[in-house]
Amino acid sequence: MTAVTTPKKEKFIVPIGPQHPALKEPGHFEFAVDGEVVTDATVRLGYVHRGIEKGAENRNWTQNLYLVERICGICSHIHALTYALGVEALAEVEAPPRAQAIRVLVAELERVHSHLLWFGIAAHEAGFDTLFMYSWRDRETIMDILEALTGNRVNYSANLLGGVKFDVTDAQRAIILEGINFLEERTHHYLNVATSDGMFLQRTRGIGVTRLQDAQRLGIVGPTARASGVMRDVRVDAPYAAYDAFPINIVIETSGDLEARFVVRLKELFESFRLIREILDNLPPGDLQVKRFPRRIKPGEVISRVEAPRGEVFYYIRSNGSEQPDRVKVRTPTLCNMASVLSLSIGHHLADVPMLLVGIDPCFSCNDRGVVVCSSEGSHDQWTWERLRQYGIEYYAKKV
Amino acid sequence: MESVINVAALLVFPGGLFVIVTGLFYQWIDRKIIARLQNRLGPRWFQPFADTVKSLAKEEVVPDHVNPFLFVALPIAALAGALTAALYVPMAGLRPAFSFPGDLIVTVYMLSLLTLCTGLAGANTRDRFSLVGATRALTQLFAYEAPFLLALLGPAIVAGSWQISEITAYAQAHTWMLVMQPIGFIVALIGLMGKLELPPFDSPEAETEIVAGAMTEYSGRGLAVFHLGQAVELVIGLTLITSFYMGGFSNPLEFLLKTIGVLVVLAGLQSLMTRLRIDQTVGMWWRYGALLVLAQWLVLFVVELLYT
Repeated sequence: MTAVTTPKKEKFIVPIGPQHPALKEPGHFEFAVDGEVVTDATVRLGYVHRGIEKGAENRNWTQNLYLVERICGICSHIHALTYALGVEALAEVEAPPRAQAIRVLVAELERVHSHLLWFGIAAHEAGFDTLFMYSWRDRETIMDILEALTGNRVNYSANLLGGVKFDVTDAQRAIILEGINFLEERTHHYLNVATSDGMFLQRTRGIGVTRLQDAQRLGIVGPTARASGVMRDVRVDAPYAAYDAFPINIVIETSGDLEARFVVRLKELFESFRLIREILDNLPPGDLQVKRFPRRIKPGEVISRVEAPRGEVFYYIRSNGSEQPDRVKVRTPTLCNMASVLSLSIGHHLADVPMLLVGIDPCFSCNDRGVVVCSSEGSHDQWTWERLRQYGIEYYAKKV
Repeated sequence: MESVINVAALLVFPGGLFVIVTGLFYQWIDRKIIARLQNRLGPRWFQPFADTVKSLAKEEVVPDHVNPFLFVALPIAALAGALTAALYVPMAGLRPAFSFPGDLIVTVYMLSLLTLCTGLAGANTRDRFSLVGATRALTQLFAYEAPFLLALLGPAIVAGSWQISEITAYAQAHTWMLVMQPIGFIVALIGLMGKLELPPFDSPEAETEIVAGAMTEYSGRGLAVFHLGQAVELVIGLTLITSFYMGGFSNPLEFLLKTIGVLVVLAGLQSLMTRLRIDQTVGMWWRYGALLVLAQWLVLFVVELLYT
């Protein structure tokens, strides 16, 4: 008897990534298309895994502050802030109010920079390069402000364990206010463009609609969730740093499409501008850092949550009483939102896929950190930092 | 002597070097204006020339699983088609090299050869991006081709001839047809943008979705020749539209000023708009483009009936 092979229906798969013009970071998506319509989607992540969590176990508490800051180039302050807040909670030390306010100030400035950056990229994915160029030009203002304030354009290094590094001088205050005024005016313009430009609306209105129930079911976070009407914002749900002294108003849209995501992010900018002005006007007096922060932290574990520009950043930190953390686990908002891209893109046109992908503001290097320590036999094998490094060297030596 | 002139017409003017050089120059103007509108500096004047020379000098990589003959021949056919079209068009206010009744139709279809070759080139290579790009290029061809041709036939009807040189002569002698047939002008202009795959009609080569569309697998010579074809087509398209709708031209200076004027408008439109999805492009052309042109034709016929 001959084996009967059933003809398998072949799928036409369009790969996006790992190296693709739509993505500035490596991530691999496979979209099965029927003509122009996407019928199936899969994702493969992990191309920029850098072993940071493992690396954190081999550095002391202070050194890690600089390591976690390098998880993401866009929300670097947020990572350092989350880590610092977690470690401070473990050590039962609290940073002075002035330091907390400055932390929030930098966080909000960073949010402005992140949202403007996202706005430009989203416009570029839609093929609207003029908007991209303009928003990135205006983003330079906020980059200059951050540089004037912290001395750095990317990894601001504002946090210390138990405080911040710098104070806000009157000259810096003037620079910030001037920049914010300019950006507020520009943001009004962008909001107008994003909600009234007919050609642009054709690409955003009614595209990628996520209903409230779906957003809740998939566990979407951040502005993406708020665009679907989910009242979820760590700054309000569990105020950290100085957010109880300087509360924010949640920006909510209910339509859940790409346009709503644009509107939510742009309107959040106005909230940030308001908050920045408020903090600059009412900066609490006092010290910038605590007198002494312990080298060793007594055993314990802590969960630290912060609202990054993209959504909730979650840190789990465990101490075993030594100078180094026993475990640092990071979960970034991209991971929470990724499932929504895959489920959303089915039924949409291939041309909408980059827009949908960018709609969640993905950050792949934030995302890719997991270390697999389970071998096939199921025995849990601990990898040391040295072994991980050696594995990396051999892996790439084999490739060449 | 006759043959020498013919060879010169093919190689130098208006069929060869002249259109290529003008096309590259116009591409630089286009890029520069868009860059300035987008608050960028833009390329230096020789950038398109440098790009072309560099690409022409590079090795052409022929990928696996393609028909190598087609892979090499398609760019050449595309450029040849565009250059042939240039022979029938009055360049720089001078008489065209060849002219016969009905050459307008030949010219327009020679121009379509570029899109057709792009589509076939994409379908020839076994790349998914190329295939999607090729499908989109050909889909788009069927969308704008008819309205574009109808828009160019508007002046032909008024002039009573389908010969480009006669229509141009008629346009020179009468009021600008831009005033008499504004809809036709707009449709022709936007049709040219579709033909050249400029934004917002650049979904066949949308870099954020399908890398470079049908051109993805092309490199070196093939790519350069395709780009030269586009440059040539840009000049021919601009010349046709300005000579038909903007009163023709009697000298090279007028040619330069008028065509660059239209080019500035094209660049402005490109930087203003978001890329359309392919279904939106097709829908727009058939729903608005074709209907508007037909409405204008109706008006033309009614006016002609009343006056004769």
